[in-house]
Amino acid sequence: MDDLFSPNVMRWVLLAVLAAPLAFAAVLAVGGGNARVARRLAGLLAALHLGLTACVVTPAAVMIAEYGGMNDGQAYKHFRPVFVPGDTGDGQEHRTAWSLFFVGKPNPAPNAPQPAVQFYIGLDGINVWLVALTSLMTYIAVAVSWGFAQERAGAYYAWLFVLQSAVTGAFLSFDVILFYVFFELTLIPAFFLIGGWGVGGGKRDAARKFFLYTLFGSLLSLVGLVGIVLTNPTPPGGWMNKTRGQALKQGRGTISFNVSDLMRSAARWSDEHDSAVAEASFKAEQTPKDTGRREQAEKELADATAARTGYKTTQFWLFFLLVAGFVVKVPLVPFHTWLPAAYAEAPPAVTLLLSALLAKLGTLGLLRIVIPLCPHMAAEYGLAVFGTLGAVGVVYAAFCAYAQKDVKMMAAYSSVSHLGLLALGLFALNPEGLTGAVLHMVNHGLTAGGLFAVVAILYDRYRTTDMTHLGGLMARHPALAFFTVVICLAGVGLPGLNNFVSEMMLIGALFTPWNTAAMGYGLAVAAAAGIFLSAWYTFTMLRSVFFGPVRTPALVDGTAAPADLTGREVIVFGLIATLCLALGLYPQPVLAVMKGDVAVVAYTLQSARESVNRELAEAENRVSGTTPTQQPISMNPTLIPAGAGRGGPGGPPAGGPGGPPRPPQQPPR
Amino acid sequence: MTPLSNQAFVDHLTASVQFVLPEVALVGVACLLFLVAALRCSRPLAMVVALLGVVGAGVIAALVPEPVGRFEPSLAPIDPTGAASFVRWLALVAAAVYVLLGWADTRTDTPAEYHACLLVAAAGVSLVGRANDLVSLFLALEMLSIPTYVLLYLPSRTRAGQESAMKYFLLSVLSSAVLLFGFSYLYGLAGSTNLHVVVSSLAAAAPHKDLDPAVSPLAAVAMVLVIAGLGFRVAAVPFHFYAPDVYEGGPTGVVAQLAFLPKVAGFVALARLLGVMSAHGGGLPYDTAHTLIPLTLWVVAVVTMSFGNLLALLQDNLKRLFAYSGIAHGGYMLIGVLVACTAPPASADQSGSDALLFYLLAYGLMTVGAFAVLAHLSGPDRHVETVDDLAGLGKTNPLAAAALAVCLFSLIGLPLTAGFVGKLQLFLAAFQVPTDTKMKSLFQVLTVIAVVNAAVSAVYYLRILGVLYLRAPFKPAQPTRTSPQLVAAVACAAATLVLGVYPQPFAEQTRKAAPVVAAR
Repeated sequence: MDDLFSPNVMRWVLLAVLAAPLAFAAVLAVGGGNARVARRLAGLLAALHLGLTACVVTPAAVMIAEYGGMNDGQAYKHFRPVFVPGDTGDGQEHRTAWSLFFVGKPNPAPNAPQPAVQFYIGLDGINVWLVALTSLMTYIAVAVSWGFAQERAGAYYAWLFVLQSAVTGAFLSFDVILFYVFFELTLIPAFFLIGGWGVGGGKRDAARKFFLYTLFGSLLSLVGLVGIVLTNPTPPGGWMNKTRGQALKQGRGTISFNVSDLMRSAARWSDEHDSAVAEASFKAEQTPKDTGRREQAEKELADATAARTGYKTTQFWLFFLLVAGFVVKVPLVPFHTWLPAAYAEAPPAVTLLLSALLAKLGTLGLLRIVIPLCPHMAAEYGLAVFGTLGAVGVVYAAFCAYAQKDVKMMAAYSSVSHLGLLALGLFALNPEGLTGAVLHMVNHGLTAGGLFAVVAILYDRYRTTDMTHLGGLMARHPALAFFTVVICLAGVGLPGLNNFVSEMMLIGALFTPWNTAAMGYGLAVAAAAGIFLSAWYTFTMLRSVFFGPVRTPALVDGTAAPADLTGREVIVFGLIATLCLALGLYPQPVLAVMKGDVAVVAYTLQSARESVNRELAEAENRVSGTTPTQQPISMNPTLIPAGAGRGGPGGPPAGGPGGPPRPPQQPPR
Repeated sequence: MTPLSNQAFVDHLTASVQFVLPEVALVGVACLLFLVAALRCSRPLAMVVALLGVVGAGVIAALVPEPVGRFEPSLAPIDPTGAASFVRWLALVAAAVYVLLGWADTRTDTPAEYHACLLVAAAGVSLVGRANDLVSLFLALEMLSIPTYVLLYLPSRTRAGQESAMKYFLLSVLSSAVLLFGFSYLYGLAGSTNLHVVVSSLAAAAPHKDLDPAVSPLAAVAMVLVIAGLGFRVAAVPFHFYAPDVYEGGPTGVVAQLAFLPKVAGFVALARLLGVMSAHGGGLPYDTAHTLIPLTLWVVAVVTMSFGNLLALLQDNLKRLFAYSGIAHGGYMLIGVLVACTAPPASADQSGSDALLFYLLAYGLMTVGAFAVLAHLSGPDRHVETVDDLAGLGKTNPLAAAALAVCLFSLIGLPLTAGFVGKLQLFLAAFQVPTDTKMKSLFQVLTVIAVVNAAVSAVYYLRILGVLYLRAPFKPAQPTRTSPQLVAAVACAAATLVLGVYPQPFAEQTRKAAPVVAAR
């Protein structure tokens, strides 16, 4: 049994999880001419894939929870995926040997970073649940499309599976270019699904708008990625090298496209610049005044400061380029204008996938790529810019949702509102916010997915989701009404259901000592207002559609009145409702698995925040004319204590609100 | 002392023949075809003979070894090192594809002449890659141009065809004259027509440039003239005016050539004149120590890609649209030229010249593939002129539509296609240029401009894709026959995917073909 679930087997199963949907798509494209055959086949294959995913996700979750990102009780500083296909096998670095495309000369050293785009996929505490969610949601999408796809059904299901494969690939990727590849590949199936099987008159325009808008954002992200890769090569002495301030003099190392390498390099280069400035400043101070040596030392200090400013300026621009693709994909509010058209025109099952899965590509990209690779800029500008956008979005989208007359559009704006909250908590950049964000990705997938599944059923029964045409459905579809109420209650954050847990964490994350009081609390108020508004619009919809006198569109030429949920649909909604309840009552197993990897991100940010504060203190000292008190910059080069995990940040942050900037505290060893 | 009394020179001149055997074979087969044309030559026969000629040239290129060791760059008129063999294979493969494409254009009574001209043009492109002398380079460029004039005129003797042939002829002759004028300056400065000597002596004069910030005005004038002359070949703005009209009026197969072969020749020639793409490397005469030439190329690149993309947005005619799209892609490739010739990489990272060569290959596949689909669809009974004519192609001709879709996705630059890898390499090459030169961060800005352009270009490519798959066909489905053009289109599309999924072997070839020239 142990052999069966050993990593050597599991990494092939993981590869199968990624590749199988493509094979399914090929089968359906060839053999799915008949709609009845196609949907049965698609349902069977999706269920099969769900089983396969469970086979790999369960052992992965157990394994990740066991080591918890810790080595002898200390957390790592970089992502360490398990079940990596092509693992080089020493169990320490979790690298892959599968290089796709070399940009420079291959590095002959074993287990060394390669200047190559690599096929580097794996599972860690952050993506393991998202992969499971993808498989589940695809099954649900297939199940609720049962009566929808009559025309070219084989092609429809084939595209659904292609979409699944691309989303899974993006979730699994630990190579930035590979991530980008899968990220963009989602556009092709989504374009054909919206444009080909859309339900509205403007489906072609909606498909085009969706494609172009997302492409524009993600191309900017591509430049950001290219820039991050090129400006953060592997330091010549490695990341473990304890001597600081030397790498700058030794020139560039190998470039790497690997997220784990890049996040260590980005942190290290910033440290190197800080150390170089500190060293030069110390030297300038020690040199006697009015001598040639002093002049020389001061010039060196000026050079080091200029080099650091140059590096920081580059990272500043790269941060905003990088973030562009993801804020469009999520979407955050001023970048959401593609969304109403795409969500309205897409087939209901595709809207389900857009909201439950594709939006997560954006948030995962922020968490996996943007924040670890630009920690300093994220610490400095993240909450101020994107947290504010998130907060504005929470309230704005909630009002938009209230104004909608269509259940589908209400669900669409509700999704925007919840994702704004997610981004807001994420950019609080503390363990609570990051944990809440990962958990909310799963929870939002379930509740938004569930709500769109309801929309799909309504569309299937009545060919409309307009609230003015629907009413009192409780009488006709008691089972549907029951599940809808459960999903809606979960969506508005009723205690005991899943969203409550993650939303509380996200809001709680805003109350941290290093956010200035007004901003942190202001954002928290906006977030709380959004949750209240979500209850308002959700219950308004429930009342109008499910309660009151029965009101339905006229039946088409004497067909029987639409039935309640079929057995298959009961299974689908039962699954969603059970998971909502389970995650609401006992989220601890899920949290335990993500703990280690959240700690990794939190640690990166903690050191970045300290560096930012140090710089602010220096600037303030320069302004006030006092000589800066130089603290030796010490950073445990490899490991940090486990305390930086869920237990809160390692030490009290420097320069808290109100007080004068204090010299930085050393992270505890 | 005349050159002829220099025994080493005469030896090298004589020995050059062994470096051009495949080209000799191509021209030989072309002569044979011209002779046969005087009798009567059927369409299949001409096609088979031409294909055999290309295959024969390929066999010679693959099997006959080139004694590279006995070649001295400062004497020989032919340089078999560097990008030479990469360009040769590019020309040969392109020639094979064009022979297949020619099926649509040779319904008239001149199939033999058509294929003969095609082979001469391919030989010309191949020679551009290995010319090591201003004279041989000019001759090679003319070997490409002159058959093209004939080709534009041969298949369709309509008024539009005549106009496009005449337009191309006049402007091409003008550009050749400008190029020659530039060459005369280079000869005057270096005292030799040998390319290696020209580049090395310009680069050697460089130390003086640090004292006197004005680069020798004559050298700058010469290079500006060369850029203008070759800018016509690659359809760079503002030398692009002929492209849309000539594409619209010309026969599809010839337009496919026009979209690709002159670009290969123009970019390779430009790179060679600026000092890269040969194994021995004479240095870089125009690096970022002075901003004049780099800035000129920068501006031309930006204007070319932006202008091409913006005007392509307005087009309804497919050939005009692809003309502007080709102009825009020329702009992207100019990034490669710019980076390669002015800012060589410090380490073994991505260099501009191999990005350029890879992009040329990718561009060739996707553009020729798209034209091949158009050639397949057009026939005596059906004309595919505007975007709307493609409506519903996904239902009526699924295979042709799929090939076109792959090419379009590649032109957009979506992953898993050659276009993505090409763009990624260009971006990497441009972004890694250090910012401490006189160009400051202009290279990084250029990358962002290119990305915005790529996003804009997606608008019109996606419009075609939408018409292909999301609109109902106007006409009832016609029975589709397999034609040589369709074979060419599917081959191009398949190669586009292969290059996108596993680019490594091809990237290795480009890296071998474009050795990095060290900065001064």
